[in-house]
Amino acid sequence: MHTSSKQLKKEFIKKWVKGLEICCSSNKKMDVMERKKKIKLCADIALASAKNATTSWSNALIYNAKKDDENAILVDNLLGPESRFNSQRTAHQMITFHKRVRSKRILKKSCTVSQRMKKASPPASNLATCIAKRLVKKRTQVLKKLVPGGEAMDEYSLIKEALDYILSLRVQVDVMRSLANATEVLD
Amino acid sequence: MSHELRNDPSLLERQQARMKWQQQKQQSFFNASDHTMQNMFSTSMPLAQTNETFTGLLSGHNGLDIVKPDPGLMEDWAGFGDHLSYGYMNQNSIMPLGADQSFVHGNSVSVSTSVTVSVSPKKRKADKGQSLEVVTEKEKKLKGCAEEGDSKITHQNSNNSDKATGDNKSSNSKGASTNTSSKDKSKVSEVQKPDYIHVRARRGQATDSHSLAERVRREKISERMKYLQDLVPGCNKITGKAGMLDEIINYVQSLQKQVEFLSMKLATVNPELDFNIDNVFAKEMFQPSTSEFQGLGCTSETPNPAYFQLNSLDQVYCGLDMGINSAEMALRRSLTAPMSIPETFMDSSCFNQILPSAMWDGDLQNLCKMEFEQGTLIPIQSHQYTGKVIN
Repeated sequence: MHTSSKQLKKEFIKKWVKGLEICCSSNKKMDVMERKKKIKLCADIALASAKNATTSWSNALIYNAKKDDENAILVDNLLGPESRFNSQRTAHQMITFHKRVRSKRILKKSCTVSQRMKKASPPASNLATCIAKRLVKKRTQVLKKLVPGGEAMDEYSLIKEALDYILSLRVQVDVMRSLANATEVLD
Repeated sequence: MSHELRNDPSLLERQQARMKWQQQKQQSFFNASDHTMQNMFSTSMPLAQTNETFTGLLSGHNGLDIVKPDPGLMEDWAGFGDHLSYGYMNQNSIMPLGADQSFVHGNSVSVSTSVTVSVSPKKRKADKGQSLEVVTEKEKKLKGCAEEGDSKITHQNSNNSDKATGDNKSSNSKGASTNTSSKDKSKVSEVQKPDYIHVRARRGQATDSHSLAERVRREKISERMKYLQDLVPGCNKITGKAGMLDEIINYVQSLQKQVEFLSMKLATVNPELDFNIDNVFAKEMFQPSTSEFQGLGCTSETPNPAYFQLNSLDQVYCGLDMGINSAEMALRRSLTAPMSIPETFMDSSCFNQILPSAMWDGDLQNLCKMEFEQGTLIPIQSHQYTGKVIN
């Protein structure tokens, strides 16, 4: 794990620096917010591409970034020709996911009425488990929103992706922090 | 011959393994004459469903000791007049594991061996029931081993009732396990084909397929949760799923906020997004082992930027091996002792004396003083270089 995180750091820095170079090659005058957005975007894309399409959160992140037209060129340049990111496959996955969600919603709507008729109040012994289940469900929903591409995953792979995402976020934070500290000290 | 099988449990086990492996590939051939054969295989039919994974196991895990060619067996059974075994041997020639021919033949022989052992009543009847049981158990053990990557399969024979792997539980019904195998979803698999996980219901628990599948799923999730516990700091005391999820959410949110904050910081620190080059340079400068920079001070300014640009990125990546934190430390180290910087270093017009800021922690400063004795000081390139470095 230690060696893989170092490797990830290397990859991340490479791509991040490259992305920032591309950004500043366009000689626009940018204000602080824009710069911050660019920096963050470069960092995110760099992190995701360092994963090289092995995880689904990275694919989802790149896909979402590409949806924005002005970022698309940057993303393409950053990814490079040898990247394994397949935008069509991710797009297809997203489409099928949305279809699934829609059909589930329709089904739910049709069933709710009959369910309400049938539903009896849960006995006291089950109340605790009901509450626990509801809590877990709420939290998984929140987690799904946090992890990029999380909505399209089932619980098990969501946890797996969250694991990987946490590791990569840590790498990102470490690198950015040391760079920020270095620049701060130099001033 | 028969006593060989009895006395050598590993041999029997291998044969069982081979028999199962044979079954999957040779299902079509069973339709030929022998009905007793078919009976035998229909009872252990669920095993066939896992056969693909079994093959995968065999091909993927050479470390598993079960796949041993047994020429000794071959000889013994050569004279065996069973037409079935002969038939098997013919069919074996097209087996995919053909690389190991001796294995294939040994397999065929062993299949016939075990088949005849279980089928023909004049052979040891006592072994018949045992063989089936051992087969199913063994398969489960194989699954467990595949998932854990262990090759302790050869040692399982010591105790037939010993079912002590993570995925196996003791049960009363083998039917439950067979149902599970057909209905389980494929999850983590080291095999290419979908993985069937064998689960045995615990004593007194529901044995229908749905609850078993649920249980497997839940266990996988709890396994992952445990791993997450190690990852997320401060999660050791929390046991519930909801609490764990809560911590995970908090951690992810805090990391994301840190990224936002740091990118904002970087944006404010630099007027343009060009901080990368010279900071990269600065970072690599603070590796005490890079001797190239010793000569920096002697050269004039103009060739330096070009030189830096060429090598800087590469050296940063090398330097990263030492960890970014050490770069940070080195940076602070050199900053704490500005007085010791020799004159041979960079042009002083560009050199800013940076005083140690009071906000550094005490321990950091101690560390700096400690390292100060060791390395040489490297010139600090100031921010003013920016314009020169970037074209």
